[in-house]
Amino acid sequence: MKLAIVVQRYGSDVGGGSELHARYIAEHLAAHADVTVYTTCARDYVSWRNHYPAGADLVNGIAVERFPVERERDPRDFARRSAFVFDHQHSVHDEMAWLDAQGPVCPALVDRLSRTLDSFDFVVAFSLRYYTAFHAARLARHRTVLVPTTERDPALGLAIFGPVLRSAGAIMYNSPEERALIEHLAHTEAVPGVTVGVGSQVPAHTDAGRARRAFGLDKPFVVYVGRIDVNKGCEELFDYFMRYCAHHERPLDLVLIGTPVLPVPSHPRIRHLGYVTDQDKFDVIAAAEALVMPSPFESLSMVALEAWALGRPVLANGRCDVLVGQCQRSNAGLYYQNGLEFDALLETLLDDGGLAAEMGQNGRRFYQRHYAWEVVEGKYLAMFDRLQTQARDAGPAEAAPGWVERRRRHLPPATTLVSAAPAGPARETTDLSGAPS
Amino acid sequence: MPTDQHPHGGRRPHFHRGRRGPDRRGDRRPQPQQSQSQGQAQTHGQGPSESNKADTINVDQIVREIKARIAQRHGIDLSSSQIQELAARRLEAILDPRTLKPSLLDQLRQNAGAPAAIAPVEPAPAYEFEDHTIFDTHNGLLRALRNLLKPILKLFFNPNPISHALNAQARLNKEAASREMERERTQSEWNALHYTLVQRLVTEIARTSIEMQSLTLRVESLSTRVDHYERRVRELEQGAQPASQQQQQTPSAGVPGFNPGRPGGGETAGSGSDQSGEGGRRRRRRRRSRRGPGSPDGAQDGSPETSPAEMADDGGPDDMEPDAPAEAPAAAAPDTSAGGPTDEP
Repeated sequence: MKLAIVVQRYGSDVGGGSELHARYIAEHLAAHADVTVYTTCARDYVSWRNHYPAGADLVNGIAVERFPVERERDPRDFARRSAFVFDHQHSVHDEMAWLDAQGPVCPALVDRLSRTLDSFDFVVAFSLRYYTAFHAARLARHRTVLVPTTERDPALGLAIFGPVLRSAGAIMYNSPEERALIEHLAHTEAVPGVTVGVGSQVPAHTDAGRARRAFGLDKPFVVYVGRIDVNKGCEELFDYFMRYCAHHERPLDLVLIGTPVLPVPSHPRIRHLGYVTDQDKFDVIAAAEALVMPSPFESLSMVALEAWALGRPVLANGRCDVLVGQCQRSNAGLYYQNGLEFDALLETLLDDGGLAAEMGQNGRRFYQRHYAWEVVEGKYLAMFDRLQTQARDAGPAEAAPGWVERRRRHLPPATTLVSAAPAGPARETTDLSGAPS
Repeated sequence: MPTDQHPHGGRRPHFHRGRRGPDRRGDRRPQPQQSQSQGQAQTHGQGPSESNKADTINVDQIVREIKARIAQRHGIDLSSSQIQELAARRLEAILDPRTLKPSLLDQLRQNAGAPAAIAPVEPAPAYEFEDHTIFDTHNGLLRALRNLLKPILKLFFNPNPISHALNAQARLNKEAASREMERERTQSEWNALHYTLVQRLVTEIARTSIEMQSLTLRVESLSTRVDHYERRVRELEQGAQPASQQQQQTPSAGVPGFNPGRPGGGETAGSGSDQSGEGGRRRRRRRRSRRGPGSPDGAQDGSPETSPAEMADDGGPDDMEPDAPAEAPAAAAPDTSAGGPTDEP
């Protein structure tokens, strides 16, 4: 079996959820198929500036072909177009202009894929909202296995994504919440889909004591791992934690791992370790009392899964449906919606060691049951088998709108559509563990 | 956290103990032996069992309980708009719509806090009544004829007093209308003022009652803590007795390795040590009364309250709790537990 994986950025030094997701999937599927990655030369997701040389590359044994990004993103133009299509009545033409403004505009990648498409059995396209996945999925149609990695984001309400989703061969969802949202907005019930998510390279053994010694973590602490950014809920986390410190004398530190976009407050109980190695990260998580995940927008929190894999409970933002759903399904995390709840739930986790330990055990079981690599690989392979054996009657392609129709501003604001979609965590777990549907 | 990863040698640090209230986990307390075996199974790569253990806790329920507790304890932290909303609901109850015109209520709400905006009363048609008024007409010929015949009319009666009376009446009407308008305006202002006063009073009462509720909870919490410290002081005082006196009171104290509170601690644990047995019963009663009769944690069916795992678990916070007051009457709560004194950890 030959697979093409299309993703906007790729590299062992590329951070970011969906890019890491794609790399893990590529590396694990390489054991079962001949995998080639098509990606851009960009490393920075804000500017899409070409960083890697164009051409063939090898990353952790995976063949990678990189194509130059035609133009860098103009943040002001992108912000203006986003505001327009999200909040105003607009046209298909406006949405396509938004997609180009977002980038990474890489027509060379699309050309190459169109020329080599027949040599692949399937094209696994990551992150629907980007130019690369959108055009790859439009090109490969029912041979596309789409991994949308979408969150509750206004972009999902754009009309251009509906036909792409409906014409895909299969959709690999990250969570039941994502699936419910996409099915509501794009009516993809007929498209084969399964909730998969992704595993992680959690080491077999962690050394919490080593991490404590190495980083001088002599007090109990909770840890946040990820980009330190307002969009990730870090500003709110700092407020809540400092408020917690003001009310409690318990020796507890907040340890941050990740690149700061937001200035880290100078507070005696907030420790920023910066960017650390994977082994250090896992050791620190293992040493922590709990992992804090303050992000209000997540399609799948890999860090939360890693914490669960290491038997640590999670304290998550209750405004993120996906995180709440994961906590409820695993019984391994608590979720807050305001400072008082953060305070009380953190106290509960710290006070009740037995509860925290039991939640950690639940998390470990949840991870093993749904996100262990054999489970994730099994779901992908089962989907490929199904697509190969059951030729789906995809029907004719949806007719593209004409020149005039594309420019007619009759599409509703994307925000309106997304905010009208049903919200809340999904409780059922059959989709997580069951066969593709 | 796996025990091998914890810096405190597999035990939770001291701050996890003795600081929590009633055990919310009830029978969810994990059994150390099981945890160990699970940890071993995972270390050996056998993977976790697919049992339904995840169902033993329900994070949704825990979060809901904590939210409810926050709402109860931190009522005082309600925002002013929330308090006003609460007060508005209370005011609705006070202003019973069955006894009050709905339109009046609306009017009161509108006028509250705003300057009285009285719709000007339509003044009575202003008319001047002069001596010539009764002879006025729009017809010039008729008016001339009337003026011509006026002296003849005055031969029969004098119309001037009638004119004066009607003139005075017109003036009185104007004054009355003005007075009525002023009275209505004053009344409306008073009504608005009264409504605002009542509204503010109800808001203040709502705020005060929330504060009182919060303070009551705080007082309860403090009194529990005082009680706890009193018991602790008493226990320390008892512990400060000379060792020789203790040896006299407890004949088995000199037996090495003897522990009356543990299973397998020797026959004397169940038969000879009345003091420890009574202490154990008192401790059980105290826990049961704390959990309440309706609590699912309580041993309702008379089964032993503690599981063997709990008995073996010497790291639980309950072990840190002081004993019951010595003067507590033994017959105050009959012991329904089927377990003997050795059930106590």
